Amino acid sequence: MNRFKTLMGAAAVLGAALISGQAAAFDLGIVAFQMSAETHARCSNTAEARAKEFGWDTQVLNSNGSLQTHAEQIENFIQKKVDGMVLCMSKPVQFDAQFQDAKDAGIPVITISSGSSPHTLFDVQPNEFVVGAEAAVYLLGTIDFEGGILAQRFESNAGARIRGIMLDVVLAENPTVTVVGSHSMARTKSWQDDVRNGMSALILQKAGQYKGIWASFDGQAFIIDDLLIESGMKKGDVSLVSIDGGQEVFRRIKSPDSMMTATVAVPLEDMATAAVDSMKAIAVDGKKKEDVVAGPYLFKPAILVDANNVDQYLN
Amino acid sequence: MTRTLAIEKYGTLFAGLVLFAFLMVFAENFASTANLLNVLKQVSFLMVLSIGFTFALIASELDLSFANVCSLSAVVIGSLMQAAYPWPLAVSAGLVMGLFAGLLNGYLVTYLKVPSLISTLGTASVANGLAFMITGGVAFVGRWDPDFLFLGRGKIGPVPVIILFTLAIVALSFFLSTQTKTGIHLQATGENEEAARRSGINTRKSKILGLALSGLAAGLTAVFLVANLSSAAPQMAGDFLLNGIAATLLGMTMFTPAKPNILGTIVGALIIVVLSNGLVLLGAQYYIQDIMLGIIIVASVAVSASVLKRAAFAL
Repeated sequence: MNRFKTLMGAAAVLGAALISGQAAAFDLGIVAFQMSAETHARCSNTAEARAKEFGWDTQVLNSNGSLQTHAEQIENFIQKKVDGMVLCMSKPVQFDAQFQDAKDAGIPVITISSGSSPHTLFDVQPNEFVVGAEAAVYLLGTIDFEGGILAQRFESNAGARIRGIMLDVVLAENPTVTVVGSHSMARTKSWQDDVRNGMSALILQKAGQYKGIWASFDGQAFIIDDLLIESGMKKGDVSLVSIDGGQEVFRRIKSPDSMMTATVAVPLEDMATAAVDSMKAIAVDGKKKEDVVAGPYLFKPAILVDANNVDQYLN
Repeated sequence: MTRTLAIEKYGTLFAGLVLFAFLMVFAENFASTANLLNVLKQVSFLMVLSIGFTFALIASELDLSFANVCSLSAVVIGSLMQAAYPWPLAVSAGLVMGLFAGLLNGYLVTYLKVPSLISTLGTASVANGLAFMITGGVAFVGRWDPDFLFLGRGKIGPVPVIILFTLAIVALSFFLSTQTKTGIHLQATGENEEAARRSGINTRKSKILGLALSGLAAGLTAVFLVANLSSAAPQMAGDFLLNGIAATLLGMTMFTPAKPNILGTIVGALIIVVLSNGLVLLGAQYYIQDIMLGIIIVASVAVSASVLKRAAFAL
């Protein structure tokens, strides 16, 4: 029984500690779909930091890539009666019911890189069609629009899928470039292993047949880059182009040992900041949604970063 | 009843009640009707899946395939919904898929004498591969037939209909396991297979039944998941593996210590989901939730430490 009393005492102290952090400020709930992906973490961390600058209470949740967990976390935030929600890489069709519930409860929701929903204020995104086209055209340019390429795709994510579709569109206009090998990443929870296994096989099997490699996001490109370095390649032997941005990819673009050639840097920090700023304008300052963002999307243009301009972005 | 025996039988239940009382006092909105219904809705998925796992365990067989079988059933349902087949057909196909996987496990264990730990891991891998084969890694998503979505999202008055389904499943399962000859045979087989066989019980049939019920529960959970999220993806039930096992192990520390039991599993699932919901309402960050989930499970079980040892050895 003594053990039990100790446990209860500890629980009471913990509860008091948790509650002591609660205040009457604007309460912002942030949900990242999968924090193990750098882009999701950058998105949610930036949103949290911006909200704290406003003196808001913030709570960040991680859905660990689980659809059901994501739904439950949104439902729990609705029950908590948060004042607003920012969702990083959510999915409007799957969570239509939860978004509707949030709307019915009077909770404004802004999504980032998720897609628009009639139940949310708007979605902040870089326009994946433009991003995908830029990366594809740039890659083909680096190989003089001729020869073979390898492609590392990701079909489960809408944004990454669109980037792949745009690669296909660009390739259709440039028949002198052929995809000699393609791997589609399917397993979201063990994606690093999936990419490593798939691409190491292609790199070996198609050696000498490709001059460029396209990856649907930078996390995949890092793994491919390491494989290429392990295989003895030197910078310039092959062109490696991807999408997302961030300090790690900038460091690799700058590094003389890395094959990383360019990335289309999605301004996740700007996007997350804009989401929180818009939330403040609408939910706190009382501005009309239409005066802040006219339509269902707030587009934040991405920037192509290569050896020519990487110094501007490398911290 | 001695105090020690009472703690062994009801320690975890009491710890769960204390957790509930703690959240009622300290977590704002926890005790609201809307939130309690929200908790009951959220626990439904885990509860049905865990009950299936419990049936296999009652027959002394470990089913480690239930989460992947659930995902496979989900994509079977999703593929048929996407192809515009009538929803009753899609639901039936999902249930048959789950039941078939359970029967396959039963056949492997009882006829081919493959230990359930190995055979169900094999089935899990096959189910995972099939789910990816059917989907190509891309989730089925759509605004499907409202009658189908009603199974997961619908309400009768303020009560989510899934709660009513779960109550019916719980009642049936409890009745089957404790009030029928079949249930008694299942328990007898699990406790001492040789003695059960000598007393005329068809132990092979009991083991097949236990594993088949686990598969059927996975199929049922898949129906609810797909209807709730209006989508189906490979590995969409992956997170339920750990929580399902945790709920059942928690359940084994109460009511009939060291024995898997339906009532215990129900309470175990409730503790896990109440904790998850309560931590959001308390404002805990995502990493605190993972840490707390582990601590609370260990702490709850520590109250009945001697039982845990026996449960572990019984496994």
